[in-house]
Amino acid sequence: MFTKAKSSMAAFATLLAVSSASVPANAEDTIKVGILHSLSGTMAISETTLKDAMLMLIDEQNKKGGLLGKQLEAVVVDPASDWPLFAEKARELISADQVSAVFGCWTSVSRKSVLPVFKELNSLLFYPVQYEGEESERNVFYTGAAPNQQAIPAVDYLMNEEGVERWVLAGTDYVYPRTTNKILEAYLKAKGVAEEDIMINYTPFGHSDWQTIVSDIKAFGSAGKKTAVVSTINGDANVPFYKELGNQGIKAEDIPVVAFSVGEEELAGLDTGPLVGHLAAWNYFQSADTEANAEFIKTWKAYIGDEKRVTNDPMEAHYIGFNMWVKAVEKAGTTDPDAVIDAIVGVSVPNLTGGYSAMMPNHHITKPVLIGEIQADGQFETVWETSGLVVGDAWSDYLPDSKDLISDWRKPMNCGNFNTASGKCLGSTPAN
Amino acid sequence: MIFGHFLKQGLASRYVQVAVLILLAVAVMVPVLNLAVPPGNPFHLPDHWVPLLGKYLCYAMLALALDLVWGFCGILSLGHAAFFALGGYAMGMYLMRQIGSRGVYGNPVLPDFMVFLNYKELPWFWYGFDNFWFAALMVVAVPSLLAFVFGWLAFRSRVAGVYLSIITQAMTYALLLAFFRNDMGFGGNNGLTDFKEIIGFDVSAGSTRLGLFVATALFLIASLVIISSVVASKYGKILVAVRDAEPRTRFIGYRPENVKLFAFVLSAAIAGIAGALYVPQVGIINPGEFAPANSIEVVVWTAVGGRGTLVGPILGAILVNAGKSWFTGVLPEFWLFALGGLFIFVTLFLPKGILGLIGQVKASARARREKRAAEQQVLAE
Amino acid sequence: MTHEIVHRPYPRGRNRNSPRTRAVAIEGRCGEGRRVQALMAAFCAFLVFLFLMFANAAHADEASVRAIISKFADAEGFSQVEKVIDELAATGDPLAVRTLNALNDGKLQVKRGGTVYIEENGKFLDPITGEPVDGADTSGLDKVKIKNSLRRTISAALSGMTLMAKDPAIRSQAASTIFDSSDASQLEALEKALAAETVPSIREQMEEAKASIQLFNSNDPAEVSTALGTIKARGNRAALALLSKYAASADGELKEQADAAISSVEETLSMWEAGQNVWYGISLGSVLFLAAIGLAITFGVMGVINMAHGEMVMLGAYTTFVVQELIRTSAPGLFEYSLLIALPMAFLVAGGVGLLMERSIIRFLYGRPLETLLATWGVSLILQQAVRTIFGPTNREVGNPDWMSGAFTLGEMSLTWNRVWIVCFSLAMFVALQFVLKKTYFGLQMRAVTQNRRMASSMAIRTPWVDAMTFALGSGIAGLAGVALSQIDNVSPNLGQSYIIDSFMVVVFGGVGNLWGTLIGAFTLGIANKFLEPYAGAVLGKILVLVFIILFIQRRPRGLFAQKGRAVEA
Repeated sequence: MFTKAKSSMAAFATLLAVSSASVPANAEDTIKVGILHSLSGTMAISETTLKDAMLMLIDEQNKKGGLLGKQLEAVVVDPASDWPLFAEKARELISADQVSAVFGCWTSVSRKSVLPVFKELNSLLFYPVQYEGEESERNVFYTGAAPNQQAIPAVDYLMNEEGVERWVLAGTDYVYPRTTNKILEAYLKAKGVAEEDIMINYTPFGHSDWQTIVSDIKAFGSAGKKTAVVSTINGDANVPFYKELGNQGIKAEDIPVVAFSVGEEELAGLDTGPLVGHLAAWNYFQSADTEANAEFIKTWKAYIGDEKRVTNDPMEAHYIGFNMWVKAVEKAGTTDPDAVIDAIVGVSVPNLTGGYSAMMPNHHITKPVLIGEIQADGQFETVWETSGLVVGDAWSDYLPDSKDLISDWRKPMNCGNFNTASGKCLGSTPAN
Repeated sequence: MIFGHFLKQGLASRYVQVAVLILLAVAVMVPVLNLAVPPGNPFHLPDHWVPLLGKYLCYAMLALALDLVWGFCGILSLGHAAFFALGGYAMGMYLMRQIGSRGVYGNPVLPDFMVFLNYKELPWFWYGFDNFWFAALMVVAVPSLLAFVFGWLAFRSRVAGVYLSIITQAMTYALLLAFFRNDMGFGGNNGLTDFKEIIGFDVSAGSTRLGLFVATALFLIASLVIISSVVASKYGKILVAVRDAEPRTRFIGYRPENVKLFAFVLSAAIAGIAGALYVPQVGIINPGEFAPANSIEVVVWTAVGGRGTLVGPILGAILVNAGKSWFTGVLPEFWLFALGGLFIFVTLFLPKGILGLIGQVKASARARREKRAAEQQVLAE
Repeated sequence: MTHEIVHRPYPRGRNRNSPRTRAVAIEGRCGEGRRVQALMAAFCAFLVFLFLMFANAAHADEASVRAIISKFADAEGFSQVEKVIDELAATGDPLAVRTLNALNDGKLQVKRGGTVYIEENGKFLDPITGEPVDGADTSGLDKVKIKNSLRRTISAALSGMTLMAKDPAIRSQAASTIFDSSDASQLEALEKALAAETVPSIREQMEEAKASIQLFNSNDPAEVSTALGTIKARGNRAALALLSKYAASADGELKEQADAAISSVEETLSMWEAGQNVWYGISLGSVLFLAAIGLAITFGVMGVINMAHGEMVMLGAYTTFVVQELIRTSAPGLFEYSLLIALPMAFLVAGGVGLLMERSIIRFLYGRPLETLLATWGVSLILQQAVRTIFGPTNREVGNPDWMSGAFTLGEMSLTWNRVWIVCFSLAMFVALQFVLKKTYFGLQMRAVTQNRRMASSMAIRTPWVDAMTFALGSGIAGLAGVALSQIDNVSPNLGQSYIIDSFMVVVFGGVGNLWGTLIGAFTLGIANKFLEPYAGAVLGKILVLVFIILFIQRRPRGLFAQKGRAVEA
């Protein structure tokens, strides 16, 4: 608690130092990296960790001698969970602070808000969170999972290993759950699941009274078929949801819940005893047993000064994205966005689960998919993983309007939404 | 003639005159400093400042609108951001329709979010928004209509004071929840974004930004003059009478509910226009704008500048937001401390806001002068 | 799951003559490389087999169970672990229960070559006896991983073994597991247990479990029909699940009977469901009431629009967190009482902050209610950010003591303990507050000051002191609410924000200045919300409630229980 206060005082001091150092005069001496994560407001709960992770990565890189012979310098701003402010801050980072790349955003809406800015000012955004797909932009690199790297393998697992026949798709009412559930619904129907065996439910952000919904799930599960819940419930609402599940005695053996937005960080606010066996699908778990991961966790705990802090999937995404950017800049010999965009496709860096992740032409990356079960100590234990890496798919094959779309940012196609049926690059023509 | 009278009445106050002059100067100087002064010159205004300043002016307009009802009519609306957001949505819908087939799915009619949510056709309430004039009408009409219905109900049943504040908050909260719903057909949490063009101009072009900025400044000046002349008119006197002693005004024979209703609707319309100007400059409108906290912030800007002064809220909105921009860039973790501290400081020590402070200083100087004069007179005698 | 393969490699029986020394000896001999070990195990097993045959006991003894358990050490992957569990299940020997439970809890530690321990609180225990093992070789131990399907296998295995357990609760649990799984391989054990069972309610459960097995495995239509009747009589969700599963594959007369049973069970359930809904409404209402009651004092009685009210609730929740942290580190035994300890602490912390707020800010703003709104909003921002700086922005874990977790059933309604306690707590708080207001001298002063400040002052009541205490009381009560809400919601810096609007709605709806109004307002809104939710969905339901409040205020501008008298117009 007190170390926490101390560390934020230290952060305060470094921020002062950073801000006073961030006058354009010494722009020549350092390469600037923007960090665009909310430090206040509702999303601070998730995003502050990513800011710290980025500061750590930059710190580590500087210890290794920086980049292109220069030191890296982090520029931290606070978009305060206010979506228009994200755009404003992005503009400030790129125009005023002249950052070479920005690592940031969490929610879909914040990404959508900054997109036009990155396109207009031609800069780079590394987006570390699992998202709904249906997007591929020249200036954005999606290091989190696309639906096919998380949702579909999870459903496959439940279907094949647990014999699930009846599905509850429960989510918070925003675009990520909506799209994911659309894709899953189409996928399940393609697999022969009947309409009446799928129940879809949406709740508002921060929903805290789950009594009715949990008991509905219970009722839905008593139709004599094995039932599972696919949860795209967002951050804050999860704690009361799981507490209610635990208390109403829904055990993982009976009705497993597989979540796509619940990681180690979210579980840190929960007594996981009653939740053992419920599942999550991610591309990384802190429990991954590799040397790189052990090293990462050690560095993180030392950096943050708290032995209890956990690591999570979006942190790994930043780790991969940052290293990819570093490697691409080295390859291109410059931080010029156009050069980096050309250089980064095909760059491959080690991930923390013992393999390599590569940047694909659609600006998504390859990742392993892991299914983990919640343990009593708040960690996940991997019970299944894909045999190889899965390539992130920007446009879902299960949505009627996007199944014909592909994305390839290499020349000559240079298009994020190329319709293979009509042979045309749809919508806005590529930048420049 | 009437217009001339209006203008004269509106510009009667010294403060308003100064504010209008400054705003006019800003409207001229911003494009000049941005375009004519070369980058590198210390007087050059960087590009990213233009939409930022434009945003401040939109907020200033919103605060001005609130001051009409709060400062002059005593209605503390905790739901003014709702009118602002509705105006913004009307404009956003127009901008969405302008994207046309340039969306990622290339659908000529449906915006992208409708395509991937499997909408087959445009919902009825999106009809007409491809015309600018229709959208412009809606920018004013929708907030006004809501304000009319809400105000008509509330003022007629004599809901007042704290109760009124709380139900305006309930109104904006209900709208927030409603617009969050994807089934509403307004893009849910993501709102409306990725705009391309406004009346044929590229929204991301520097010249369009400057144009929007100048338009915002002019609209702000116009609203200031209108409100100031309304306040200075005979109706304005009744408005203040209602604020200070509603039952007495009623006994004299006025209908306070109608007096209030007019101010409330006018205020909502101006807030709606502010929202419509805001959206193309920040590039996104989403339900977050309905958040009750936003409405409370507007009240704070007004209070900081000085309620009931018209010019004060403009000043307050600009100062607080400039402070917010600065803090969130430089000391991100301390922004809320600063903002919170400011609220407390202003309510405790500056009950009349910054402008009130100037007035107080002046008044006390005058009092001192008069006292001295009186003393001299006494001495002379 | 599939449990048709029933290995019975060892005859069943009970043998009390198997001293531990011998088991250790066998283990020692068996531990030399896998093939040798397997051979030895088989040989040991054979010896044991012969021994048992002649000892006239039909139960596997400790050594053979131990031999199977030691196979966990070398099982690779989930499928091999499952095989070992099946093997243990086949022995039906209660000696394996401890191991299986440990496996289920992730406490089974193994090392290649047959070493198996149960790890508990840093101690390594023998997998069968549960005695600490002296000089246990703990290097290179690995946890045996399991997953949900294995957990089901384990609970099925355990059900067979624990049907004859001493503890009636465990027997009942075993019976209901068999009821759910309809596992035919347990039939024999079940019948034996039925014969021995003396507790009528558990007998009934076992009969039902038997019916469940017969339903899916019997070829005799009469037997199936009786089974249908038994299951129908049970009439709960589990029964419904079995019946619908059966109906899906049945035909003819039996299907008709099954369908009739389903609709009868559904009818019973739907009646209970209405009751359940009322309960959910009451429990939501109690949460609203808790969140609002502090505000009913600061806002309702004093007229301060206290926007920092939510943060007082948050402070209460964080106090609970700190108390639990301290208890965890220094006195883990007190954890069950952590909430009781946290209550007075939270009251003091939130009340203290409230007092400070009143003395330093609010007392300058009396009579300017709308300005208190601004100042307290400022305070709320500062408190939020302060908590974020001190405790970090992430959720903090506040544990539920045992008496706050789980649920009990009332008929077919399931009531969760934390909700039940919260309802009780909120009612208790209401009564206590009413007592303070109506029966104490302080309450008298408080009412006097709110009704007529100047008159009270001239009656020698120290009005500033009463103001300060009243505000502190309201804040302290918000802190108490925070302790309760920490049990069902996030403990994060945003906690307060999520309740503030609802709290204001409740107070305004109920009528300012009246605690009864707040109570009835909260429960009305809670129940209305819960009845709208199934039809309109959670979001639309809430919107409708808000619209209802807006319209209601038009009809009754001063809420449900309007205050009357001269104070009102002031």
